[in-house]
Amino acid sequence: MAGVELLSDQGYRLDGRKASELRKVQARMGVFAQADGSAYIEQGNTKALAVVYGPHEVRGSRSRTMHDRAVINCQYSMATFSTAERKRRPHGDRKSSEMSLHLKQTFEAAVLTQLYPRSQIDIYVKILQSDGGNYSACVNAATLALVDAGIPMRDYVCACTAGFVEDTPLADLCHAEESGGGTTLALALLPRSRHIALVQMDARLHQDHLDMLMEAAAEACRGLSKVLDGVVRQHLQEVSVLTRD
Amino acid sequence: MASVQVSEAEKVYIMHGVRDDLRVDGRGCEDYRHMVIETDVVSNTDGSAKVSLGHSDILVGVKAEIGKPRALVPDEGYLEFFVDCSANATPEFEGRGGEELGIDLSNTLYKVFNNKHSIDLRSLCICPGEHCWVLYVDVLLLQCDGNLFDAISIAIKAALFNTRIPKVHISEDAEGGKEIELSDDPYDCVRLNVENVPCIVTLCKVGQRHVVDATLQEKACSVASLLLAVTHKGMVTCVRKMGGGSLDPESISEMTETGKRVGKALHAPLMDLLKKEEGLGKNRQKVGFLR
Amino acid sequence: MLKSKTFVKKTRSGGVMKIVREHYLRDDIWCGSEVCVECKDETPVLQKDACIESNLCTFPHYLIPDTNVVIQQIDILEDPLIRNVIILQTVLQEVRHRSAPIYKRIKDAIHDKEKHFYTFTNEHHRETFIEREQGESANDRNDRAIRVAAKWYSEHLSKAPDAGDLKVVLLTNDRDNKEKAEKSGLIVYKCEEYVKSLIANPELVDRLALTSDEQNEITGSRVVFPEHLPLSKIQAGIKSGTFLQGTFHANRDNYLEAKVYVHGEGDESTEVLVQGLLNLNRAVHQDVVAVELLPRENWVAPSSVVLIDDAQNDEDAEEEEAEKKVRKALDSKPAQGSTLKPTGRVVGIIKRNWRPFCGMLLQSHIKESTRHLFTPADRRIPRIRIETRQASTLEGQRIMVAIDGWPKNSRYPNGHFVKSLGSAGDKETETEVLLLEHDVPHLPFSQAVLSFLPKMPWSITEEDLKVRADLRHLTVCSVDPPGCTDIDDALHCRELENGNLEVGVHIADVSHFIRPGNALDQEAASRGTTVYLCGKRIDMVPELLSSNLCSLRSNVERLAFSCIWEMNQNAEIISTRFTKSVINSKASLTYAEAQMRIDDTSMNDDITKSLRGLNKLAKILKGRRIEKGALTLSSPEVRFHIDSETHDPIDLQTKELMETNSMVEEFMLLANISVAQKIYEEFSECALLRKHPAPPPSNYDILIKAASSKGLVIYIDSAKALADSLNDAQVEGFPYFNTLLRILATRCMMQAVYFCSGMDSDFQHYGLASPIYTHFTSPIRRYSDIIVHRLLAVAINADSTYPDLMDKHKQAALCNNLNYRHKMAQYAQRASVALHTQLFFKNRGILNEEGFILFVRKNAIIVLIPKFGLEGTVFFENKDKPSPRLSFDEEGPTLTVEDHPFHMFDKVKVTISLDSSNIQHQKIRMALSEPVIPGVSVSMPETEPEAKKPKLDR
Repeated sequence: MAGVELLSDQGYRLDGRKASELRKVQARMGVFAQADGSAYIEQGNTKALAVVYGPHEVRGSRSRTMHDRAVINCQYSMATFSTAERKRRPHGDRKSSEMSLHLKQTFEAAVLTQLYPRSQIDIYVKILQSDGGNYSACVNAATLALVDAGIPMRDYVCACTAGFVEDTPLADLCHAEESGGGTTLALALLPRSRHIALVQMDARLHQDHLDMLMEAAAEACRGLSKVLDGVVRQHLQEVSVLTRD
Repeated sequence: MASVQVSEAEKVYIMHGVRDDLRVDGRGCEDYRHMVIETDVVSNTDGSAKVSLGHSDILVGVKAEIGKPRALVPDEGYLEFFVDCSANATPEFEGRGGEELGIDLSNTLYKVFNNKHSIDLRSLCICPGEHCWVLYVDVLLLQCDGNLFDAISIAIKAALFNTRIPKVHISEDAEGGKEIELSDDPYDCVRLNVENVPCIVTLCKVGQRHVVDATLQEKACSVASLLLAVTHKGMVTCVRKMGGGSLDPESISEMTETGKRVGKALHAPLMDLLKKEEGLGKNRQKVGFLR
Repeated sequence: MLKSKTFVKKTRSGGVMKIVREHYLRDDIWCGSEVCVECKDETPVLQKDACIESNLCTFPHYLIPDTNVVIQQIDILEDPLIRNVIILQTVLQEVRHRSAPIYKRIKDAIHDKEKHFYTFTNEHHRETFIEREQGESANDRNDRAIRVAAKWYSEHLSKAPDAGDLKVVLLTNDRDNKEKAEKSGLIVYKCEEYVKSLIANPELVDRLALTSDEQNEITGSRVVFPEHLPLSKIQAGIKSGTFLQGTFHANRDNYLEAKVYVHGEGDESTEVLVQGLLNLNRAVHQDVVAVELLPRENWVAPSSVVLIDDAQNDEDAEEEEAEKKVRKALDSKPAQGSTLKPTGRVVGIIKRNWRPFCGMLLQSHIKESTRHLFTPADRRIPRIRIETRQASTLEGQRIMVAIDGWPKNSRYPNGHFVKSLGSAGDKETETEVLLLEHDVPHLPFSQAVLSFLPKMPWSITEEDLKVRADLRHLTVCSVDPPGCTDIDDALHCRELENGNLEVGVHIADVSHFIRPGNALDQEAASRGTTVYLCGKRIDMVPELLSSNLCSLRSNVERLAFSCIWEMNQNAEIISTRFTKSVINSKASLTYAEAQMRIDDTSMNDDITKSLRGLNKLAKILKGRRIEKGALTLSSPEVRFHIDSETHDPIDLQTKELMETNSMVEEFMLLANISVAQKIYEEFSECALLRKHPAPPPSNYDILIKAASSKGLVIYIDSAKALADSLNDAQVEGFPYFNTLLRILATRCMMQAVYFCSGMDSDFQHYGLASPIYTHFTSPIRRYSDIIVHRLLAVAINADSTYPDLMDKHKQAALCNNLNYRHKMAQYAQRASVALHTQLFFKNRGILNEEGFILFVRKNAIIVLIPKFGLEGTVFFENKDKPSPRLSFDEEGPTLTVEDHPFHMFDKVKVTISLDSSNIQHQKIRMALSEPVIPGVSVSMPETEPEAKKPKLDR
């Protein structure tokens, strides 16, 4: 096979991980003071910032108002220096619009919007550095930002990608693995109920392999949810120490 | 938040404070707020810096690309500026909301930085008339809490200091065909001389006096402000009056004097800080947004 | 599962893009040794008593070769003697980067359980990963990484309680690296030192590749070649147009001349002539080189002299002699302007294409000398200087030699002995040679490949039955040539209640056993095709599959991929169905047996009825196909009767075609076309198809001329016109004429090729007059069919795709390999026939046979002997005799020798004998015996050998 060897005979991936291992995840909540909620996450070299404003009155045209629940408004953008080749504009292209829509759908499934009729919740995410799994980093960051903003959700939304190489599902693909050809599946999971908030796959894959791939992605999401939970608890502890004084 | 609304009573309070050289947050008129600077925060750029000034958060990334020199100056490279006023900073910037401010900022930055007084543009030339380095300086506005220009200029200076451009060789054959070859040694790179890169000092006229590093509240009390680009020698390379009101010539010269003094004083600690940070080498724990 | 501990970023600049990749370091990578108690490796690879007997290392030891040792001395490492070797990841990556074939070989060695080769993932090990330092080159960094890993091993092993004397030994040929390693307290040897110290096998020394250090010592010649330019300069030159890049093709007959095929844009390609030793500048046949054109006044014409480098050893005197000869030959023929060709000189090598070459040793005159010249069998390859102590043993043997390098002050390249193939002229040896020379992979399947075979005893499982159509009740039978063990296809035909017929073609389901991407699949993809030689078959897939599990033998249950049509009595397709199935063939018949059943009116069993139905439909199908303009071409096909004991050819026989042959063929064509339509419909971008382009009209010139010499006209406007005019071309009293004409027509055709539908727009299969075609029916022997099976399986949702199958670029690359393998297989087949023909004539002395003139050349005629299907050249110019008067008329074409004119298709008689004056290049020699031309023809041998067999009229 030409190109790079995505999985060595010894079972190691390009960066030294095994097939089911995630990249190193680091995250922090409450990055910004001005926003209602904010969070930053690093999944390997993919870095994302998310801020949440709201719930607040519906901005702009009144027609968007929902009388029984809150409107979720998302914008996805990428820093112009986030990719290996410089991007000309941070958002507004087709890909970002699609991503914004996906995020909106994901969080409509998770946020208890019916608690805030006639209002709006803004979720803005920004990719600072991109190395595969942009969508999942955004979802994870936005989840933390929503928690930071104190907006009630059914569960954490955890997202992760999985790919398929030589009959082995690989979890949490980096950019080199994503571009190596083959299928990439992005999955957003509500881990406790095991409900799926969003699933997306672009390439062709046989049905028989789908279960295996979904399971690998779900397993990765569950792993991530543990990390996110840890981050939230740590943050709460820090905040409560501060407020106690 | 790009701007705030302030009530009359608040205005009076702020203006009185400024008159007595004691501002609302306890600073004197020529004092900056607490500033945090970190470089090399985005590893896939050639240079990057993050600056927080009060609650203003700026991230700057520099990417070097090979381009064609401009026809008028065939032996110089150039810088390009782009300011992304992201919706992260304020929902007002959502969609195309931040575009106008972004264009205004980037045009000013281009005037201030892209000249041979601030950076040796000749050192960016690879092959006269054919190839040169284009430095794309991308500014990302993450949080606005006043005095954007000063914070951005410091971040740009830090990012340029941090910038490492890969070394290239030009191989030439008998026919005159030129081929650009990149060095395969990742350590083999060129640094920029940022000594002359100016810092921007914005002075806000509040009442009869002027302040540096105005907060959004102070800005709301001011009729007009003056932007100065000052080098480490105290040389002013750019002046621009900003804001809706008007300024009399006397206060402009007063403000220029202050600006020169403050600006000159800004460079030395900044360079010290950058060198100290670099001195930590690989062992430096990178913080970025993780606190 | 252990999470990553530390992480280090690795930066790599490619272009001006800065790419950042993560690099995780782990502490769960084991050392792989049996003695180690610290590592939790469950199945350690490296043995406790790792003993290779050596004078230098008297203790048990593990070897750690560096990258250059692996690349240069792979022949040594592959020897069964060498075991317990640690291959570092650093080394493996470098090898992968630098040489794909060696990478494959070392991987095979790693997979071989007997070898105890262990891959240590040192780049991800916490304690052995190192970062490149400032000012350190990539190579130095890798050398350091190797040393660090070796050091780690020696310390790690010394901690093990029962390690005893177990040590690691680093092998490197790099002086600097060796010094540094010694300084850090490692045991380190040069590969050569180490191999020489081995007690068990002194013969291994000969297989050592010469490394650059030693090369300088053995060059004594005065020839100094111009320096090769570095790659960067070459690339710059190619870009600017100063240099041209192309493939170097040495001239078979003149070792001082070569052509470089420069690939231009599109189909355009030009040839650059290169003449003279210094201009050839050490390029070897098939290398990719950069050439610089000489100024126009220095252009020359290709020389017509035959010049063979036959100097007995590399004395310069003879060298100059040879050079003079060429110059004389050139000077004597003042070149006319029109024949001057663009001439150039080689300035640098872009990619060497060296492989091990077969040939024979030319012993040095000096008895004790260990340096000898090696003459490759392929005349386009220069002679190679090797060092061996077994010269006297190797005399008269075919051996293999690999080139190690060609220093600029050496007349010949330096190489090393790889292995002996056996004595020259021997059938086994020569077969081996022809396989090697045609690049036919024929080694036994590696352990890694065999590990993917199903476990025996194998049987069809419940799951298989669940997803497959059960067709075991159908009366399926196979019809093949006698002795066929790899039965790809079986057929059935039955009448349906509505009066229509159901016809099924059942193809062995090879893709069920060969899963994409595994070693077995890769091996099959690389082999591309099974190669059939006379009396020998080189399988594409292991025998267990080819002759057993996949072979659709009678009365066993087999998995199949079925293509089932419903047809009306008029052979019109009503519906087509594809399904994976289980069948149970009721009979494996030969063509003759099947024919007998059809003809025997007394037989009325199911099989026979089925056969009759098929035969009837086939006739209609064939008629319709020919109506559309399908060509029936001919080539003289011969079969050897092989002696069952000695495997020597004892007789030959032309293949006889029966109705049943074309019956099977017809349904295979139909299946292929149906499948092609289906996969193209489903995968318009990545269907693997086969096309046969229409030849350009100029190709037919010779055919038209030949026919017109007999007063016939051949129309070439369309395939149909051609087919019709060929049918009508009959000459009274000359029944063989039509066959001859068809043989000629075959030579006018283009080569049929595989291609990927997404990469091409012309799908036409000219010969079969089908707009679309593919290969589906022989997956046991053709890899293309396996891919087609996979595509079809996906199309009917019976299997899943994988990335490479859907990638049109990868598929195009695969097609290239398959086309290359098929071409080589064909050449190998022809060479094998030629070899057997020679063996056949060896024991028969001189024969006198009747033949027809196929072509007329300026100084020779090419004669076809129908009896043997043998083609040979009768030269009218002879080295030791004065040439007869020759006059050549291009229009006829006619060659008049003395006063006798020779036309195409003339009947002549020739004597056939074996010329074994050159043991490496034995050949069949033909000489004219009738018509008798004094001074030209030879007299008939006294006793005409029994020519009892009736002349074949076909």
